[in-house]
Amino acid sequence: MPDAGMTNRLSRRIELAELRPSATYRDIHLACLQAERHGLCAAVVHPVHCERAVTHLRGSNIPVVAAVGFPTGAFTIEGKAAEARDAIARGASEIEYVVNVGALRSGNRALVAREMDAMRDATRGHVLKATLESSLLTDEEKSAACRLASDAGVDFVVTSTGFVETRPAVEDVRVLKEAAGVCVLAAGDIRTLEVARELLNAGASRLRTSNAILVAGERAEEDA
Amino acid sequence: MNRDELTRLIKTGILGTDVTEGDVRNDIATARGYPFSAYAVDLSYLELAKELLEGTHMLLTAAVSYPLGGMTLETKLNQIRYALRVRAEEINATLNLGAIKSGDYAAVREELRAMVDVADGAIDVIVIPQFEILTHSEKLQTCKTLLDEGVRAIKTDGHGGLCRPEDILLVRRAFGREFSIEASGGIRTTRQALDLLDAGADFIHTSTAYAVLADIEV
Repeated sequence: MPDAGMTNRLSRRIELAELRPSATYRDIHLACLQAERHGLCAAVVHPVHCERAVTHLRGSNIPVVAAVGFPTGAFTIEGKAAEARDAIARGASEIEYVVNVGALRSGNRALVAREMDAMRDATRGHVLKATLESSLLTDEEKSAACRLASDAGVDFVVTSTGFVETRPAVEDVRVLKEAAGVCVLAAGDIRTLEVARELLNAGASRLRTSNAILVAGERAEEDA
Repeated sequence: MNRDELTRLIKTGILGTDVTEGDVRNDIATARGYPFSAYAVDLSYLELAKELLEGTHMLLTAAVSYPLGGMTLETKLNQIRYALRVRAEEINATLNLGAIKSGDYAAVREELRAMVDVADGAIDVIVIPQFEILTHSEKLQTCKTLLDEGVRAIKTDGHGGLCRPEDILLVRRAFGREFSIEASGGIRTTRQALDLLDAGADFIHTSTAYAVLADIEV
């Protein structure tokens, strides 16, 4: 039987995402409430909802992560950097941005590196996460992105946005973890404690899901 | 309607996370052989597409806050300014859908007003209300807000939606010819395209233009 201490630590490695385009102001508040109630490690929202989430979570020690360049990453470097600065000005503590996956797939690694440098510059003093779309990339491309992220001083590489392939693959976490000295965040539809553990065991430092309540629910069951 | 006439009513393009530079080059090279009305790309390929579309009659369409609309107004305006600098002819801008779903039409109004202001008549503002996730009354209220703020063109859905003739009829019945309506979302066959045009759509937006042209007589 798992001990409560371990499962409590688990909740502090889970970020709750509310990134549905249809999310209302109320949904944003509900996500923040869930993050507070379960002691999760962050709330992830689109920049348009950033101020609302920041206001709600003020004083809670739960950082708000702004999702920049979501979900395609197919924006200009200057545009994404400006979006990150804007989100920080609105109170975001951390930035998760989507890498220009099209450029990575085109073999244009110089552009991906330039983008990482620009994002690092735009977010000095804040946690920066670079999001890939693992299901669209070869292992070689994933590894290359990790090395670039490590060189640029990015804090986390994220497996995927959750908008292309919803389930995070354990194998992707392994590939990213082996590639370089950068923390891995496994993102997507994580519905059970079992899947959460598998991803963590494969080397993920954190998880991002819109289903934290389910993981937390199982935790409550086990704690009982 | 013949093949040539239908082609002129099609706006095509290549959008999405997976798109490579080679994909853009190949797709535009093929599209150049057809009299499509417009060609849409994500902002990361806007300058490349501008260059490749040179000498054609296709308008260049820039996708703004595409496809989720979750970017701040500030970011959307920056993207429109960038589209203006690249000399794109149209923008497809996704609205603040969270505001619509929250009934906050004041925020939608503010966003529209600012976008129209920045576009300043130099670029056509085509708005994506993402009909798929809106209720009947949200569709009407959103269109009414658009009209109030001087936006006269809509593209029904961004990525993921499925355009239905009922939606086109709804807008036509409520607002007559006030809007140019671009039917968009899951249009992959000639039959679908013709049904949407019959319902009153002005343009067909599809990334699978050649499939849509497959079953029409030359």
